[in-house]
Amino acid sequence: MDRAGNSKKGPAGPTLFRQIAIRLAAFTLLFALLDVAIVVFTYSSQPESLAQELLTLEASKAANGTTLAPDLLAGPPGAEHWSARYIEPEVDGPATAPHRASTTPGVLMDWTRRERVAGGYRISGVRSVIQEGQQRWLFMQFEGDGIRPYVPVIVNEIVQHVLLPLIPLSLLLLLFNIFAVRQVLRPLKRAEAEVDALDPDNGLLRLSVAPEPREVNTLVRAVNRALTRLDETMAILRGFTANAAHELRTPLSIMQLSLDKLPPSQLRAELQADTQHMTRLVDQMLDLAQADAMAGEPDTPVDLADIGRDIVAAMAPKVFEAHRDLRFECIGDTRALGHGEAIYRIYRNLIDNALSHAPGTTPIEVTAGPGPQISVRDHGTGIADEDMPHIFERFWRKDRRKTDGAGLGLGIVQRLAQAHGGAITVENPPGGGALFRVTFAAAPSDR
Amino acid sequence: MRLLLVEDNTRLAGLIREGLDRQGFAVDWCETVAGAAHALKINEYDLLLLDLGLPDGEGLDLVRGLRRRQDMMPILILTARGGLDDRVLGLDAGADDYLVKPFQIPELAARCRALLRRPGASLGTELNVGNVMLHSAERSVAVAGLAIEATPREVDLLECLLRRAGHVVAKPALESALYSMDAEVTPNALEACMSRLRKRLSAAGADVQIRTVHGVGYALFAPVTVYDATANG
Repeated sequence: MDRAGNSKKGPAGPTLFRQIAIRLAAFTLLFALLDVAIVVFTYSSQPESLAQELLTLEASKAANGTTLAPDLLAGPPGAEHWSARYIEPEVDGPATAPHRASTTPGVLMDWTRRERVAGGYRISGVRSVIQEGQQRWLFMQFEGDGIRPYVPVIVNEIVQHVLLPLIPLSLLLLLFNIFAVRQVLRPLKRAEAEVDALDPDNGLLRLSVAPEPREVNTLVRAVNRALTRLDETMAILRGFTANAAHELRTPLSIMQLSLDKLPPSQLRAELQADTQHMTRLVDQMLDLAQADAMAGEPDTPVDLADIGRDIVAAMAPKVFEAHRDLRFECIGDTRALGHGEAIYRIYRNLIDNALSHAPGTTPIEVTAGPGPQISVRDHGTGIADEDMPHIFERFWRKDRRKTDGAGLGLGIVQRLAQAHGGAITVENPPGGGALFRVTFAAAPSDR
Repeated sequence: MRLLLVEDNTRLAGLIREGLDRQGFAVDWCETVAGAAHALKINEYDLLLLDLGLPDGEGLDLVRGLRRRQDMMPILILTARGGLDDRVLGLDAGADDYLVKPFQIPELAARCRALLRRPGASLGTELNVGNVMLHSAERSVAVAGLAIEATPREVDLLECLLRRAGHVVAKPALESALYSMDAEVTPNALEACMSRLRKRLSAAGADVQIRTVHGVGYALFAPVTVYDATANG
């Protein structure tokens, strides 16, 4: 049962959570790259706005560095003829600056100009800068070439518009992922526990259907459909055992009746014994088929003593024929919850077992009660300690050469007892022999 | 004694007919429910031997049909289905006895005779097991051909056991046969009566054996029991 994939702790693949997290991360990265590409593309196709941003960025350096003199500003990388100075609106403005009416008289407007010069471009402009609580105007100008001067701007844009929004978003998505995956997987966990608890020998094989999420719902319903087919197959299999056993009885009758017509001989006696053995096997196959077909614990009240009297009456001729005595005793209230047919078979197999294993002419005692239990006691040699663990195993026989049974009887009894939610115990009571006891659920007292 | 055997397996039917023939029964045979219905219309039979699974229907339907028409002809079911539930189903449908395959001819013949001996059935008057003979009309018992003394209750008791020879007869069944509803039955009355009957029989040299099945009832066995142990299943 511990083959790979069959044991409960198999090599677990990545969890759904991890799979989603990895996909989410990859998606975020892709999104970021796309975003960067868009930013780069947008600005490189709009040099005007790029120039504008560049000057604003340089001016913000001056604003941050409170005591920074304008000539200490380095300018954008790769810039030539960099110059920066503060201007007073009323003192001097560059002749080229377009004067515009503004709300505050005498205040200059921010402006930017980009001109083509030989071997590149020249950018000049004015930005208002707040330094030590005072508004000042910074004039900047430089000449440059290619994209290099713009790199800080582009980097700044990426940080501002791509990374800053994406990082918190990704973290939030990750958190949501943990929560959502847990939530969604809860019905799956439940289904897993139910599948683990499935036992083909007991009860109907079904999972409880969770209404949501739909994916789990459809999976569980698909599993249930598969289980229904499995049930049908198993029913066919059980039916097959029962039918095969039934069908075998007619040829067995023919064999037995034909053998009886032969003149008496050693061979005839042996063949007759073989036929009887086969008949017993067929009976046990039917018992097993019935035991396996019993679904759920029966809830019919039965009287263990009534069934006990029936089986003792039915088996007494056979026991007497073996020169043994069969006794029945009923002690107290013997009502129990059970399946009459199955209890009949339990009694029969226990008596058969006593008949074949206790030697000589020792009596067999069958008891119902006290309470919901039955017992069958023989006066043979009892059961050796080393045999105790094996006696309920199917097809186990103490001496395979000696006994004619198939070793199914006690296994059947145990199976039937379990199907009743009951238990079988065996002990070697004082006074010798073996005592088999089967307990059932008590019938509710009718008050 | 004329019997109708309904069995769809030709070889098995042949073996049963041959066996019962040697035991003194005349056996007619048909293979189907329809054939059986037809034969029952034409002829008078003392007993119906019926297999359950037949090619054209369920043998139990035939039983129910007969019982609906108030036909109380004894019916013995021969079947491969040996479960307690199957047995109950068969007897509930109105069959009188139920024999599970495989069986042996002496067992089958004994069951047939037991059914034929039932009150109102064909073998009414003489019950014979071993060297014990009970004349049911005259209420007399003979062992090895010699009449013996017995009280009416002892004769009743012996009749019950002889009719079910080879089978355990439960105590309540014996008590109800022995005593009318209003008569007071002491717990030991049955035991006392049984003990007197045993003494009488053994004193007269009877070869039948009355066994006590403690806690259940009594059974009368013929001198050499040939009961097929597996038929109990």
